[in-house]
Amino acid sequence: MNSLESSAPRGPGADGDDAVTREGVRTRLQRLGIASLQTYGLVIAILLIGAFFQSQRSEFFTLDNFVALLRAMASLAMIAFAQLFVIISGELDLSVGSVYSLAASSLAVLWLGGGNLPFHFPFLVALLITLVMLAAIGSINAFLTTVVGIPSFIATLGMLSVASGAELWIGNAGNFTPAYNTPLPPRGELATFQSLGATQLPLNIPIQVLWLLAFFIVFWIVRHRTLFGFRLLALGGNPEASRVVRLPGRRYKFIVFIVCSVVAGFAGILDFSYVGSVAPNGGGSLTFPVFAAVVIGGASLSGGRGTVFGTLLGAILLALLQNGLALIGAGAFAQDVFVGVVTIAAVSVDRLAARIRK
Amino acid sequence: MSSVQRTEAVTASTARLSGLTRSFGETQALNGLDLEISSGAVLGIAGPNGSGKSTLMRILGGEDALDSGTVTINGELVSRGLLAHMVAVVHQEPQIWPNLTIAQNLLVGREHSRYRLPAISAGEAMILADLGIATEGDREAGSCSLAVRQRTEIARAIARDASIVLFDEPNSALSEEESVALFRHMDSLVARGRLVVLVSHRLGDLVAHCGRVAVVRNGRVVTVLSGSLLSEEAIARELVVGHAHVQRSTQAAGGSSHRRDIMSVEGWTHIGGAFRDVSFAVGSGEILAIVGVEGSGARELVQSIASDVKARGRRSIFDERGQATSVRRVAYLCADRRDMLFGNLSVGGNLTIRLGIPEIAFLGGLLSLRRQRALAQKLLRRFGVRARTPLQPLPSLSGGNQQKVAIAAAIAREPMLLVLEEPTRGVDVGSKAEIYDILRTFTSSGVAAILYCTELPEAFEVADRLLVVDRGVVRTALDVHAFADVTALAETVATTERIRA
Repeated sequence: MNSLESSAPRGPGADGDDAVTREGVRTRLQRLGIASLQTYGLVIAILLIGAFFQSQRSEFFTLDNFVALLRAMASLAMIAFAQLFVIISGELDLSVGSVYSLAASSLAVLWLGGGNLPFHFPFLVALLITLVMLAAIGSINAFLTTVVGIPSFIATLGMLSVASGAELWIGNAGNFTPAYNTPLPPRGELATFQSLGATQLPLNIPIQVLWLLAFFIVFWIVRHRTLFGFRLLALGGNPEASRVVRLPGRRYKFIVFIVCSVVAGFAGILDFSYVGSVAPNGGGSLTFPVFAAVVIGGASLSGGRGTVFGTLLGAILLALLQNGLALIGAGAFAQDVFVGVVTIAAVSVDRLAARIRK
Repeated sequence: MSSVQRTEAVTASTARLSGLTRSFGETQALNGLDLEISSGAVLGIAGPNGSGKSTLMRILGGEDALDSGTVTINGELVSRGLLAHMVAVVHQEPQIWPNLTIAQNLLVGREHSRYRLPAISAGEAMILADLGIATEGDREAGSCSLAVRQRTEIARAIARDASIVLFDEPNSALSEEESVALFRHMDSLVARGRLVVLVSHRLGDLVAHCGRVAVVRNGRVVTVLSGSLLSEEAIARELVVGHAHVQRSTQAAGGSSHRRDIMSVEGWTHIGGAFRDVSFAVGSGEILAIVGVEGSGARELVQSIASDVKARGRRSIFDERGQATSVRRVAYLCADRRDMLFGNLSVGGNLTIRLGIPEIAFLGGLLSLRRQRALAQKLLRRFGVRARTPLQPLPSLSGGNQQKVAIAAAIAREPMLLVLEEPTRGVDVGSKAEIYDILRTFTSSGVAAILYCTELPEAFEVADRLLVVDRGVVRTALDVHAFADVTALAETVATTERIRA
């Protein structure tokens, strides 16, 4: 409407708040969680890193590599979106990595048999049971955090161990490859399974990219356009005040924990489908990058701050690093070092910028 | 080098504060305050909230710096660093280490050892014994009662040989017996030649235990009462005298004949025992003030009205049509703004946070940004919140405007009853008047408000009726309109509190 409003000062704490007022393009972008100092910084970082890798290897900036990159980051980004909601609410879920692999192994055992379970089911039934189990895990996390009252750090740290132990027990620490399993699963079921994560869409786009897009849109709407997202932001921003104004804090935390477990498990199933086989404890290495993506994306671990778009950029930055380092032939160990350094650097820069603005 | 030798420590006999000034931004907390503290008797300090009392305490304790003015002890100028060493403060909520034992607490900061695990000396053990907490020496402070923790703070003061001991509302949460013991310890400090200062809202305690009582108002000592002039009524009068001009709103109390109950309680008893068997009602169009010092149960009583769990008994709440309704139609505002506002949301977000479907969202839970924006703008205008745009971050508003945002957000939900704790705490004079206006306008539409006040002028200015709570019991109910001025009201309340028990 006028320059007065778009020039409104926006403190670091007020970012991504969706309330109100007619505004210019910039304010509108801010409201969409797209324009903020963090996102500008991230985009610049992504471009710089991209340019560097491009200067090293000319095949870096190709459509094929770009699509491969998006495919590779799909499960990480999806889990990061769900983790973002938990973090906005003021909690955290450390168990996502082991829940990711527990879901894949459970589905395999429930469907194919073997492992330590004496029964098995048709694919869709097995999938349904797995999803229910995932919801139960999220509920337990939420129950321990909100009803019993232990810090979510402890509750989900315990769940991390429980889930990874349960996975090893259920699958008897074995590998499962549905397409070469004996007995072979029915052809139709196998096709359904493969279609989840291994379908190629036109233009050679893997279906996981579509899943990523769908999750991004849904999480973005919930975060920026629903009563739930509005109240969740408040809940994490000031838990004490949330009690005073009677926000349904416990219910909301149940929802974010359940969503987080289900999404983490679903991402595990998608990767299982894409790869075609599952090995025990494959998700352990996800824990760090999931938190890194959320934090790089500008969320505050103390709650009440963070956007879905920022998280997506955080995930892209990490994927870019991994992809680029792999292309220039740096080993897996170097990748870990770089991912760690970039995470610390991103948060330091953010903190520094906040201090300068004051 | 840094610590004064024990043998050198002088027992001060007079401390003189002259011309102390201190301002925070535009607020003049201390405005040329003069005061003399002498040994031989406890000096009492009384003053309304915001009078500069707590700033004075912080400065004496060396926790804050002066803009100008001097502090001398026995004629010698004392620096801020030395003050921190010579003055010990015993707080309302003892500031000790809850994870250490009582004995260890005594040692922190003066361990007398570099590598060894420090242990208490015979002399220090005596201090604990004198205070009657020797048997608790090995208990973790966090698991001890408030009285024991407070005595630990006193023990620390004695052990480091502080010349001046300040007691800041020390017995507001103590039982009768514990209070008596506390005052005995205070007297023995006086007997040992220490300067003892008691800051309290409890006029009875000030009169009973102090030789002189200084009344602080607007950052200076307005009078020092002693001897036959020292009485509860006299202090009460001095506390409110600056408000003698306070005018009530001209509008009458809405006529008690048409009044119907909005909320009533019977046999209302706090689960923590802060008050018991309280019965009262508040009617449409009425503003009811509940007053009582900290620890009297008044604050807990007000809080419990908006809560499902804090008290037991019979509570009835009625809606516009006189039908019974739930506690969800009661909106509560706590004393500390930070506990009811969201610094990470915008002004508009804060204004609409108590709303839901259908006010700001569609049936499916999708936000209607348009409705939210329009509502926020309407609320900004209606409550005179000075913000350029609802999109402005909340922390960019002044304290008074933030308070208005909190009240506006509560009223936006159209409650039948508004429950407020100290609604104008830390708010400038202008905003105060606006907030009173908001409350009156709100109740004039046939609903009600209950406030917890610590200051009588506030109750006099805004309330229709006043309940005095003391030791968990409602002592009296007064019709505020029956009093010509706030001094008369203050004297009556002081008398009521004295006749108790």
